[in-house]
Amino acid sequence: MCGIVGYWQKSETTKDGLGKTVMAMLRALACRGPDSAGVALYDAKPANELVLRITVGPNGAADTIRKRATEWGQVNSSSTQSEYMRLSLNFDGDPSDLEAGVESCGDGIEVVSMGRSLEIVKQVGSPENLDKDYGVSEFKGTHGIGHTRMSTESAIDLSHSQPFWAHGSPDLAIVHNGHITNYHKMRRIYEQRGVRFYTENDSEVIGIYLGECLKAGLTLEQSLLKSVDDLDGSFSYLAATPTAMGFARDRFALKPLLFTETEEFVAVATEEIALRTAFDGEFSVGEARAKEVRVWER
Amino acid sequence: MGTIDCRDKTTREINRAIKALIKEGAHEITLQKPMGKHNLAVALLEPVSVKFEGSVGYYCAGLMDGADVDIKGSAGWGVGESMMNGNLVVRGNAGNGAGAAMRGGTVVVHGNAAARAGVSMKGGVLLITGDCGYMTGFMAQKGNIIVCGNAGEGFADSMYATVCFVGGEPGELGTDAVVEDLNDEDLAFLKNALETKVNGDAPDALAFKKIVAGRKLWNFDKQDWATWRNAL
Repeated sequence: MCGIVGYWQKSETTKDGLGKTVMAMLRALACRGPDSAGVALYDAKPANELVLRITVGPNGAADTIRKRATEWGQVNSSSTQSEYMRLSLNFDGDPSDLEAGVESCGDGIEVVSMGRSLEIVKQVGSPENLDKDYGVSEFKGTHGIGHTRMSTESAIDLSHSQPFWAHGSPDLAIVHNGHITNYHKMRRIYEQRGVRFYTENDSEVIGIYLGECLKAGLTLEQSLLKSVDDLDGSFSYLAATPTAMGFARDRFALKPLLFTETEEFVAVATEEIALRTAFDGEFSVGEARAKEVRVWER
Repeated sequence: MGTIDCRDKTTREINRAIKALIKEGAHEITLQKPMGKHNLAVALLEPVSVKFEGSVGYYCAGLMDGADVDIKGSAGWGVGESMMNGNLVVRGNAGNGAGAAMRGGTVVVHGNAAARAGVSMKGGVLLITGDCGYMTGFMAQKGNIIVCGNAGEGFADSMYATVCFVGGEPGELGTDAVVEDLNDEDLAFLKNALETKVNGDAPDALAFKKIVAGRKLWNFDKQDWATWRNAL
């Protein structure tokens, strides 16, 4: 059991209230996932700016990363909070080189998110604490996805928490409720191609899978549709890029997923309680069908 | 008469308040702002009328026997699960497993029902004015399912003696589901149900297709692997 939420503001200029809304939805699903909470929020940065969210590892490599960062690009800002570092720099090179560079600064370093729009904040514990520690409610942006986790198979730490950034594909993030039962098979195939997996969490493979689909030229919608056949098991998941957000549901409709669409916004959540808590007024809510895929794009 | 504001109350507090009002003799109970909370108004064993002014979460009105429950909003998974008797109306969409394992009474969904509505039902009537989702009526044993809209994939799979009617497209039927002609009794039953439960918009009774079990799975040789393969 996990809780997932997605919030899409139809007007590109409406940016206030993103963090607040996603947090309100997430808090309502806190009981579905007491292990960890996280959000992936999208707000287009100025041209050239790339934002990295990095876990600095047990030895606290923030200083090393900060020093090295000037070699990669002009550093706009950097800040560190507990094990989490936010680094903003102007960068035009290959994102994979940058990721490798950051992670070579010490042991246990992981780039949790990288993007020109995306920022992921996640940690072990409740949505309430996530908001308290990182002020998520203050975040502005156009759309976002969130996750509360009840782990069933893999470790409980920041790295195994969701949302997952699709390593290697800047700005692509997913949240997933369910089990991908052909995970080990898929992972083996990707690893033979040299893809590095950072966790033992089956959900991680979804981001890698979608990243490969997008790189092969598919749209997000085509990728999600393809995933319904290629992924086995139970899943309701959300995926987001700077210009799109969408969901896919498994062929047996095993995991809940509800959504509503009004003239102003789209909201998706595991339970209606999240929608009714976060939004006032009249709107109708329906459950996604088995195999259903929906994508909202700009 | 009694009114309960569900905000700032836990499921247990709300259900206790319902029981307390019933004990005091209330015949009509209104629940305001249910906000999608779970397990509300379960196990109502008295002939009371309970009205929800808003959407409810999982298993609302489950296990009830003889109450009238009206939900002005949508319902989450398992609405009216295992109900024995009574009337349940959802004025919105219903989540997975609406009327699952129900034994009697009537469930009306004025909207769409998601996957596995009426799964393993053992009596009563489940009426859906919109479409129904994947594997609706799976292993249903008795009673009736009426779908005014289109049926999802795998409709009426592996059923026993439940009789289903679909007003729209039946889609890809489930294992051992077969279409039969409507007889006079079916038409009378459908007309009555549509007139009394659906206000206006339902298709004509003659437009419905009747779907029943082909009975191939009722008795079969365990060694007959082809049947196993098709059924699974």
